[in-house]
This record gives sequence, C-alpha cells and structure tokens, in this order.
Amino acid sequence: MLALRHVNKRFGRITALDDVSLDVAAGEFFGLLGPNGAGKTTLMSLVAGLRTPDAGALTLDGAPLAVRDTTARRALGLVPQSIALYEDLTAEQNLRIFGSVYGLRGTELRGRVAEALAAVQLVDRRRDQVKKFSGGMQRRLNLAAALLHRPKLLLCDEPTVGVDPQSRNAIFEYLERLNHEGLTIIYSTHYMEEATRLCSRIGIIDHGKILALGTLDELLLQLPFEDEITFPATPATAPLAARLPAHGEIATADDTHRFRPRSGYALSGFFALTESLGLPPRLFTSQRPTLEAVFLHLTGRNLRE
Amino acid sequence: MSTILTLIRKDIAIFLRNRTAVSLTFIVPIVMITVFGYVFGLNRKDRGPADISLAVVNQAPDNPAARKLVEALKAEKSFRIISDRTNPDGTTRPLTETDVRQRILNRELRFALVIPPDVIPADSIGLHLKILSDPRNEIETQMVSGLLQKTVFSNVPELLGQSLQARARSFLGGGRLDQFNRTMASTIASTFGGNPDVIQRRIESGDFGFSQLQPVTDPKLRRLDAPAAGGAAATPVSTPTAATSRTQDFFSRIVNIENVQLVGKEVKSPDATRVVGGWAIMFLLFAVSGSSAAYFDEKNAGIFQRLLSSPVSRGQLLWSRFLYAILLGLVQLTVLFFAGSLMYGIDVLGHLGNLIVICTASAAACASFGMLIAAFSPNAQAASGLATLFVMLMSSTGGAWWPMSLMPEFMQKIGKCTLVYWSMEGFAQVLWAGNSFLQIMPTVGILFAIAVGVMTISVWRLNQRQIFG
Repeated sequence: MLALRHVNKRFGRITALDDVSLDVAAGEFFGLLGPNGAGKTTLMSLVAGLRTPDAGALTLDGAPLAVRDTTARRALGLVPQSIALYEDLTAEQNLRIFGSVYGLRGTELRGRVAEALAAVQLVDRRRDQVKKFSGGMQRRLNLAAALLHRPKLLLCDEPTVGVDPQSRNAIFEYLERLNHEGLTIIYSTHYMEEATRLCSRIGIIDHGKILALGTLDELLLQLPFEDEITFPATPATAPLAARLPAHGEIATADDTHRFRPRSGYALSGFFALTESLGLPPRLFTSQRPTLEAVFLHLTGRNLRE
Repeated sequence: MSTILTLIRKDIAIFLRNRTAVSLTFIVPIVMITVFGYVFGLNRKDRGPADISLAVVNQAPDNPAARKLVEALKAEKSFRIISDRTNPDGTTRPLTETDVRQRILNRELRFALVIPPDVIPADSIGLHLKILSDPRNEIETQMVSGLLQKTVFSNVPELLGQSLQARARSFLGGGRLDQFNRTMASTIASTFGGNPDVIQRRIESGDFGFSQLQPVTDPKLRRLDAPAAGGAAATPVSTPTAATSRTQDFFSRIVNIENVQLVGKEVKSPDATRVVGGWAIMFLLFAVSGSSAAYFDEKNAGIFQRLLSSPVSRGQLLWSRFLYAILLGLVQLTVLFFAGSLMYGIDVLGHLGNLIVICTASAAACASFGMLIAAFSPNAQAASGLATLFVMLMSSTGGAWWPMSLMPEFMQKIGKCTLVYWSMEGFAQVLWAGNSFLQIMPTVGILFAIAVGVMTISVWRLNQRQIFG
C-alpha cells in the first residue's frame, strides 16, 4: 500500500531521514520504534504530505504522494503527536469541523460524529469544551478526529504520550479493532511495549536510518541469544555476576542484572552454576528478550536514555 | 522578599532570552519618540506646521496692498501657496474662484483665500476677504484659520489705509484729496524728515505707518471714550495685552472675512464625524495584532498539521484566515459606526452602501498586515511586538493622531503610503464629503491594492516557511 524508496530529508545540518526504504502492506499494523529524535515524526510528516523529501519517492497504492496532492490525503488520517484540537470548542464541534474539511455533510457528518464519539467513549461529554477534558480524553478525541472520514491508512504519531493507563488501553483496543476491520495503521512510538503489543511488523529507526525491519520474532532472531535471565543485584549474587561474562553479556541497571547467554550456553549450565553458589532458583527469571535488547544490540544504547 | 526577588529574576532571565522582545522593548519607544520629535519640531528651528496647501485667488491684481498680502502669504513658511494653474498647452494662468472651488470639491485642496475685487469696499471703511474651505480636520482648520488671520491682520493697517484713501476720495474728490495728501506729506517730511514725494506715494498707497503703531501702556492716559474727571472712574489703557486685544477687536470689526464651507455643510454631527474615521482605523489595527497572535495559537497547537494533512490546501488555510479577519473587522466597524450613530448622531444610514465598501477595503488592508506580521514573526510574542510597532508608526504618520500638515514633508510622503491615511481619507469621503461610489473608487482601489500586494508577500513568505512547525 505505502512504499518509501530511498527517502532523504535534512534540516540544515541535521539528517532527519537517511536513505529510508520500507513497504507497508494493506491491513498491516506497522510500528515505527525509535527514541526521541530518531526521525519518526519526520517520516510521518512526509507520508502525510506536510513536507517534501529532499530525495526519494513515496507512493500510496502506486501513485506518488505529493505535498499539494489533496486527493491522496483523503485516504490518509493523521493523529498528530500534539493535541490538535480547538480547545475552546466542544468535542462535537471539533469533530464536525474536521469531518467537514473531508467533505462530510449533513446526515452523513452527524452520523460519523456520533459514531466516533461512541467509539472513543465520549458521548456523554460531547458538548463539553475540549479544554475541560483530561489528557486521556483529549487523546481519544484526537484519534477520533482522524477517523471520521474512514481513511485507508492511519498515521499515529505517538498517540498515547502522557495518557493514563486506562485511556491508553482504551486506545489500544480501539486501534486493534480498527486494524482487525482492515484499516492499515502506521504507529510510531518509543515504547517497546506498545510496539510489541500492537504491531505485526516493526521498523526500528535511529538517527534517520531504518536499522531493522520485520516481525517481532524476526527482530529477536537478530540477537545472539535466545533468552534473557534477570536476577537482583545483591551482595549474594555478586559472585555469580562476576563469573557470567565468560558465558555471555551481563548488564546491570536499576538493581537488576540482565544476563544474555551466548548461543550454545545451555540454561542447565547456568542453573548448575547458581546451585553451586547456593543461590535459590526463585531469584532468577528467564524471559524472552525484548525489543529493548534488539535496540541495544543494534545501537549500543538503550531505547530510552 | 527573597522569593519575590527570585521570581523577578526569573522573569528578567526569560525576558532576556527573548531577543525579539528585548529588541522591540527598546526599538518601539525610540522610534516613537523620534516621530514625535519630528512632528513637534523638537530641537529644530523650523518647527510648526509646514507645507499646508493654500490656494490664493487675487481678484484685485491691480491693488498694491492685495499684491502685498499675497507676497506675505507666500513668505509664511506654513503655507504652500498655489496661485496659478497650468493649462494643457503648458502655459499658466492665475487661478480663478471657480478653479479653487472645484479643487476643494475634488479633494485636491482644503483651503483657499479669495481676495475679491471689492477687497476695499466702496461704501465703507474696511476689508473684505473670503476663505473657502473643507474643514474636515478640526485641528488643521483652526491652525490655518489662525495663520491666515495672523497674516491678514499683519497687513490690515496698509489695506485699511487704502480704504481710508478710497473713502476720502469719494467724499473730497480726487483734486482735494491729492492736495490733502501733499500737505500731509510735506508736514511729515518737515517734522520727521524724509522725501515728501516718497511719503506722499506711501500715503496714497494706504501706508500710514499703522503697522508700526504700539499699544499705549501709560496708566495716566485715559481712553478717549472714558467719562470726564469726577465721573465714573476712568478705564486706563493699562496693559499691553489689553491694548493689543482692543487693537485686534478694532481691526476685526472692520475686516470682514467671509468663511465659506464647501464640503461637509450638511453633515449632521460634524465634530463626531470628523473623528470617527480615526477611531475606526485604530480598532481595525488592534484587530491586526489579535489575528497575528491567533495564527500562532493554531500553529503551536498542531492544528495546522491536522488541517494540512487533510484535503485543505495551504492557500485555503491562509485565505480563510484573511477573510475571517476581514469579517471580524467589518463586524467591529459596524458596531462602532452604529454606536456612533446612536450616541452622536453620525449619519451612517445615509451613506450605508459606500460606508460598507470603504469598511471592507480598510478591513482587507488591515487583515493583510496581520498576515504579513504573522508571516515574518518567529512566534506570538514577536508578532505582538511587531504589530504594536506597525500600528503606532502607521497611526502617527498616517494622520490618525494629528494633522499630517504638522509633520515634515518627508514624513507626510511616508504617511501617504500607509493604509491609515487612505482609510481615513475613505471614511472622510463617505461620511464628511458625501462622495458618490465613483468618487470613492480610487481610494477603495488603493486600499484593495495594498491588501492584495501585502497578502501576496505574506503568502509567499508563509510558503517559504513550514507553516505548521
């Protein structure tokens, strides 16, 4: 559906996007994962037609996407990172305005507005000014405004920033339902949990470059280890931590050791070592590595530093 | 107290970080005090009004005193005397009263002095002059009236002398008058010295030396019309001011200046009608400041991102803001004019159609300036500062605060390039002069041209920048 080929974008001396190429298929829930300043918003703005690339091509269903192409923009919906709503107007007024600019009129507009308000659970607050909403409610309305015209492709630029867990969950469920109904979604975030939960395919981006692209499993296969073992960093576990570098990578943060055994180092060998040091098994948690680990492996930095 | 000081230091730190705010804090007062200085001629020798166009029609060209009056007017630095007109073939001829009346009606002139053929009436002692005017600006009209009176009264003694000669000639006959003049000239020459022939010529031209008369200040002297000794107390001629005032009263009784108002005669509420244009343009310009700030509110909220990712084009976004600003300006003006109509009797309904046209053109010009400020400002604070500077500069140089004739010529030329000048001109044409639609079209055209030109620059600039971020 969406294709980017060798897209470059610079702002002065800063390279925001560096030779970015990717494809997003119809019906996909595509995640763009990267830290702040990685280029996620710039990529979103190019797809949304807000900026022009310095080089490369963007196509939507095979047709070029251009800044002045208002027709193509009817197929897109953008959920900006900021709360792009008129705070002094009510929820209903906001949706009517944004529905109107997409050409919705009369009964159709009223119906879509009612439908959107119900979907984001704001029917009871439709006549309240947006500035009186909580952050979560504003985010939900922000999302609803992008869906009135039933776009084919939804661009969500970090749509849950500053949102309470309940509202975030509501947004996730709504997006999952929409994707299940066939909506293609590109979702940018710096939270790996969001990408892991929502996205069928993820692109990891940093300093304007796509570092890795694939499903979660494909990305995790890039790691030189399969499991990650965590245990508390205490004086009792210090002797163990001192011996583990010979068998893999160990990192310590927030009073927790994370051990990533090298390929070929069996868990049985690890637990034999812990038993020899008199450490009980309940101290140790084995889990699948996360995208955080992938990012760390690719960049040498944590996703959120 | 330390908390207060901390918070004050915080505000100072924030202020100093904002280079635009710092610049405008210093620039605006310096610019405005410079403008005030030029207007009021501070530290300049040539202060005062300058270059006020005054047409002079001398219908008594053979009268030497009338010619002298014209020369005196030309020497008055506040006036720019126009006395001739250029024919299509390039030759010139003196202006006639018909010429100047038409020029005043056409708004090419506001004031004209006509020295009629009977400047010295045949049947009485005195002078007759006529001032034609379009008194649309009260301050300027008072100024011109005062300057004219000063110039005329400075030359009244000579003209009065002529009047006396004319009256004497009609009573005594030419021969006896010549003999009288010769005798007087000889007496003066033998007593005070001088050439009797020269003195006689001066007497015949009316110059009795009245202009050299000084008011009497000796308290021991009585007025000629005071009661005799033992009766009511005499009224001494005690002070120069009182004496000068009585001299002027005397002259004003024998100088008949006929004031003919050519424009605005039928205005119902002339005082309010004169000033309402200035109010109107000030409100429009304040709205300019507001619309610039509103642009940044939407931009900073990310709303432009949402709109521009939809089928809304940049052009539609910008022109919608422009048209909304015009609409808001029109609503403000409607409220202003109808309030003025109800409270002060300004005749709005009588000129409603043309007033709507001028208001629309003015609002469009002001709205375009709002867009220009938004286009060139990095943020809302800078926009607010720039708007303040523009509003004050245009208002002061465009004639909203004082008559343009108070300003030096170069500032008057600058002022005529502002939308304030043309807006006020338009309001005066409609409400004061009652001009027709065709007559106001040039002014409307200029205002719309300002709007289109400034808006074009604004759109270009906004397209150069990233509108939304």
